[in-house]
Amino acid sequence: MATVIINGKTSSVKDGTLILDAARDAGVEIPTFCYQADLMGVGSCRMCLVEIEGQKKLQPSCITPVMDGMSIQTETPQILKARQGVLEFFLSNHALDCPVCDKGGECELQDMVYKHGPVEGRYAESKHRFHEKDYILSPVIVKNSNRCVQCLRCVRVCDEVVGRNVLASLGRGHEQEETSFLRSRLDCDHCGNCIEVCPVGCFMRLPYRYKSRPWDLKGTDTICPYCATGCRMVVEERDGEALRARAQIGVGINSETLCARGRFGFDFINDPRRLTTPLVKKFGKLEPATWSEALDFISEKLSGIEGERIGGLASPVLTNEELYSFQKLMRSTLGSPNIDSSTRWDPVVVENYIAASAMTSGGLSVFDAAEADTLFVAGTQLSDENPIVDYIARRISAERGTRIIVASVRDMKLDSSAGLSIRHLPGGLGALMKAAALSLYESKKDKLQGFAGVERFEGLSADVLLGEAGVSSDELAAITKRFETSATVALTAGTDLLRQSCGILALGLLSDVLKALGKEVLILPILDRANQRGAWEMGVLPGLAPGYRTASKRGLGTKEMIEAAAAGGIDAMYVIGEDPVGENPSGVSAFDALSKLSFILVQDTFLTDTAAMADCVLPGAFPAEKDGTFTNQEGRVQAMRRLKAPPGDARAYLAIIASVSGVLSSTTGVCTKTNSMQVFNEIRKEAPAYAGVSLEFNNRKNKLNKLDNREALAGASEGGFTPVAMTSCAPAAEQRGEGEFYLITGNTLFHSGRLSHSSPTLTGLQKGAALELSEADASALGLSSGEEARVQGNDYEVTLPVRLRKGMRDGVVYIPEFFPGVSVERFFTTGVSLPVVKVKKS
Amino acid sequence: MEKILLKNIDKPESHKIESYIKNGGYNAVREALKLGPDDIIQRVKDSGIRGRGGAGFPTGLKWSFIPKDPTLDKYLCCNADEGEPGTFKDRAIMDNDPHLLLEGMMITSYAIGAAVGYIYIRGEFEFGAKRLEAAIDEAYREGYLGKNIFGSEFSLDMYVHRGAGAYICGEETALLESLEGGRGQPRKKPPFPALAGLYGKPTVINNVETLACVPAIIEKGVEWFKSTGTEKSPGPKIFGVSGHVKKPGLYELPMGTTLRELIYEHCGGMRSDKPLKAVIPGGVSAPLLVPEDLDTTMDFEAMGAKGTMLGSGAVIVMEEGTCMVKVAYITNRFFSHESCGKCTPCREGTIWITKILKRLEEDRGRPGDIDLLEELCGNIFGRTFCPLGDGAVMALRGAITHFRDEFLNHAAHKGCTA
Ligand SMILES: Cc1cc2nc3c(=O)[nH]c(=O)nc-3n(C[C@H](O)[C@H](O)[C@H](O)COP(=O)(O)O)c2cc1C
Ligand code: SF4
Ligand code: SF4
Ligand code: SF4
Ligand code: FES
Repeated sequence: MATVIINGKTSSVKDGTLILDAARDAGVEIPTFCYQADLMGVGSCRMCLVEIEGQKKLQPSCITPVMDGMSIQTETPQILKARQGVLEFFLSNHALDCPVCDKGGECELQDMVYKHGPVEGRYAESKHRFHEKDYILSPVIVKNSNRCVQCLRCVRVCDEVVGRNVLASLGRGHEQEETSFLRSRLDCDHCGNCIEVCPVGCFMRLPYRYKSRPWDLKGTDTICPYCATGCRMVVEERDGEALRARAQIGVGINSETLCARGRFGFDFINDPRRLTTPLVKKFGKLEPATWSEALDFISEKLSGIEGERIGGLASPVLTNEELYSFQKLMRSTLGSPNIDSSTRWDPVVVENYIAASAMTSGGLSVFDAAEADTLFVAGTQLSDENPIVDYIARRISAERGTRIIVASVRDMKLDSSAGLSIRHLPGGLGALMKAAALSLYESKKDKLQGFAGVERFEGLSADVLLGEAGVSSDELAAITKRFETSATVALTAGTDLLRQSCGILALGLLSDVLKALGKEVLILPILDRANQRGAWEMGVLPGLAPGYRTASKRGLGTKEMIEAAAAGGIDAMYVIGEDPVGENPSGVSAFDALSKLSFILVQDTFLTDTAAMADCVLPGAFPAEKDGTFTNQEGRVQAMRRLKAPPGDARAYLAIIASVSGVLSSTTGVCTKTNSMQVFNEIRKEAPAYAGVSLEFNNRKNKLNKLDNREALAGASEGGFTPVAMTSCAPAAEQRGEGEFYLITGNTLFHSGRLSHSSPTLTGLQKGAALELSEADASALGLSSGEEARVQGNDYEVTLPVRLRKGMRDGVVYIPEFFPGVSVERFFTTGVSLPVVKVKKS
Repeated sequence: MEKILLKNIDKPESHKIESYIKNGGYNAVREALKLGPDDIIQRVKDSGIRGRGGAGFPTGLKWSFIPKDPTLDKYLCCNADEGEPGTFKDRAIMDNDPHLLLEGMMITSYAIGAAVGYIYIRGEFEFGAKRLEAAIDEAYREGYLGKNIFGSEFSLDMYVHRGAGAYICGEETALLESLEGGRGQPRKKPPFPALAGLYGKPTVINNVETLACVPAIIEKGVEWFKSTGTEKSPGPKIFGVSGHVKKPGLYELPMGTTLRELIYEHCGGMRSDKPLKAVIPGGVSAPLLVPEDLDTTMDFEAMGAKGTMLGSGAVIVMEEGTCMVKVAYITNRFFSHESCGKCTPCREGTIWITKILKRLEEDRGRPGDIDLLEELCGNIFGRTFCPLGDGAVMALRGAITHFRDEFLNHAAHKGCTA
């Protein structure tokens, strides 16, 4: 600890604290431009100069650490004059076109000049103009360099946090311009973090351009609806139209960053095709109806059907309150155990995944994982799927020296921060982790006498495992060496484990061995739907009740429900926010299966394929149109607030569930609460892990940028459950013949699921799917980027443009999930998690 | 005085290794290799030599900051950027006596434990870069560079790296940044290069002339070195004189030679009958001196006491009739053109000042311009990230102090009264 005297007041701070931070801690504000929490200090703008006793020159407080006994002044006449001087210099060559600048009203330069600036301008020379017209840098970024204050926050965020490093300075001195390479169009992540960090109106959102002034916007705190990273953001609207989403420094684990989906993908909310009124099927056609007509219709239809013959499916992008109420309605009101929250994952696999990734022991902060000695990123295309976790890992590893190992089939951006990148075979992650566990075990056998579950090593051979993984023994040795020399090891459990269930058991084995070796093991689930973890914790799974308790009666999962529908085993389905017909997750045609049902009730925001064949469709609301909570992949429970009403007669799902429940029963098991806080209080009781969670902190701006609000992490679940044993875990791969390829799938940077395709901006960034394959494979097939290829599976084929990928394993092709017109899931016939396809030039 | 720096430059084929050896070259390094590294550092410390690149930092002390840990990689960087206007001394050594520099670098590398040395040479010195590369090739051929030099344990590789034309890359941390392939802008200090320099490793950066003095310190001894120059600024110094003198050029003289002796004895006096008006004593960052100051000695202390600096020893002599506003304008135009753009006061301030000076020079000044100039100087000085901005301001302040009337006349549209 160091004692410092700031403006005469003594305080005590940690050694190495920057003067700026020490002052802020003591409640003394020092103005800054180039300083940005989480970026490396540069000390270039000279706005934050302070006086240090005994030093002749003023010193930049943003890069100068305190020393014990230092006496610092921040408001002397000399300092005030220096600040004025710097501001006058900024303004000398500044465009001063505030009236037409999108930043006007929330500009740091405006605010700073207002507060500290000179009253009069003395600059009488001609101004340097970098360009006449604003220029477009990307479909989402427009640039005006004439307003630049050269703080380099844009360049640094792109390099240090985003990891793209596509911005830099052109020119020198006063001609220095932060932009793309020779101002060309950016080929980048289009995340817009450069826009967010720019203190002035240089980097601007193209879709928001000239649409509003900040003071005309009304905003609310909400959570990104895409992946399960759980980024906090503010969505802002004007006259009922959502215009902008932004992140705030010091709020949420993401602080000021978002990815392209989060920052630009909110605009689905304005889609004119949204459902605005209940629809009821009359004479084979869906017709608009009033709520009471619709509810009466539902009551009449559903009350005649036995509970067990009803299936329930709810989307993992619903709030905890909605999911909780839905499972209560299904289980108590309707008396049906058939409930699931995904069209993709097998519930038995999910249960094993939950157990192996220790989700029952409560939340794990992503910061703890990133600060481990080694972070093993596996089972996820992290940089594309959960970009902000990629940012956090990159930033913290550079700052603290976390060793990152990336194990994946395809290359990813995080490779550049990883000391070791392993490209394993598709489906080979389980074998790789087993090989690592085996090798650690064998080298430390004497120390591991009595290792519980040693039988799990029986019959394992390193050579065979390495062959399955497609990894060399040198690479394996490099991995185990890093594990051996680490006291804490963080392992990510990505969604590939849900696709390739073998990996789940291997993850358990590896984590057990590491623990037996005395290491602290942290497992961080990486999920791709905003409230997937919440859905599981709320008991929207056929085998689990809220709080990870074993359900009193095990019901059917999504696939089984569709199969049951096809076979006449169920009569009705209640679907909220999912589209089993469009996504067709089963071997049988979901359309054919659902056609056999006597009643289909759908709650959605759009008329999906499933909604189109339903008997009744109820219009729902998106996040930003409702209150509620999400639980992110870490187990962080965060609240969001309603910004505006949903369009027309649409209602929040929670209100709809309550109404449906109300007409179905007036007695037992009612879940008619429409206030999400009341429901959350009930959740606190039903799922004790949520009992102590604080929602308060989440919405409070946190000045010191301490992003890790641990009060929001869920606690450990009581009791715990035993997952249904997975019957087999042989890699469900077909044999790959000559000229054939393994097919893998997943999200892209711009699209994850149905929602993103309703966003005009995201569709503008990436419209169609492409087939990705390695350069070597492409050249063997005579294909080059942009050309079309035909991909043939057992009973599905599709033609796609080709994109070459440098770091892809040979013999593997990738097609993204959930793209309109490409039913990649149809390559995955039941039981095959790794299909083999033929590729031809078309 | 016996010359040590310019002794070879006029000899035939002076750049060739044979010529260098014939004139006694590469003896110092053989001798040095027999001494321990610490012993060499001590001798250089004892010699009292101060860096010839401008700041005059004691060379031995700088070397002694390098950690002794043998597992750490260390680097030597020779600063051959020679960008300060008026300065052309390092170039003479590199063009005509490159092996003197190589020998100095070999001894220095051995002393600080560096296995790699870089010569960062300004981009425009194409000829010098070729000469150095040829010299390095010769040295490798003779086994003077590479593995186990002169049969010792000491190995050294050496590379020439050409800059891309930026004055700021002469500033040591910008030099490192540029050498690493980055944008030439200064780094924050601390950490100082001696602890975290090139690629984050301990690094010594020395000027060409500084390194060229090292062989003589070893060979002729500390006492010999201290016998020339002043007590606090010992040794010989190359003065590069340009401007309105009869014989501009390079002069190797003891530190502490007076300006008068330099101009009137060595350079043969003023070129015409116009008397001396002003002298810039150490490159354009150094505030100018006037005829009353002619008896000041050319060393770090005396120059500092006069409010100016010895700098690189580049002396620019100006006769009566030279327009000081124009001199100030041209100087500042240089600084604003060379401002790297990192920090606000230098980036925005120097160009503003240049624009005002241009107006003044063209007789388009405004009332209050001189006060404004002085205020802008105040807003730059001491507020910049590196000394470039300070240098620009110091030079201008000096000119205004001594020739205020000339500036005021320009401002009042009275034309040039120089
Ligand atoms: C703007 C600026 C330019 C400089 N240019 C040079 C140069 O061209 N050559 C040089 O040797 N030193 C130059 N220096 C000084 C170096 O930063 C450094 O002090 C010097 O190379 C150290 O060597 P020495 O100790 O041998 O003098 C410059 C400094 C500044 C601030
Ligand atoms: S564009 Fe914006 S963020 Fe980038 S340097 Fe200029 S002012 Fe700073
Ligand atoms: S990382 Fe995930 S949660 Fe965060 S902005 Fe991107 S999609 Fe949204
Ligand atoms: S004073 Fe600032 S702008 Fe000028 S050269 Fe140094 S760092 Fe660059
Ligand atoms: S904020 Fe400290 S120098 Fe810019």
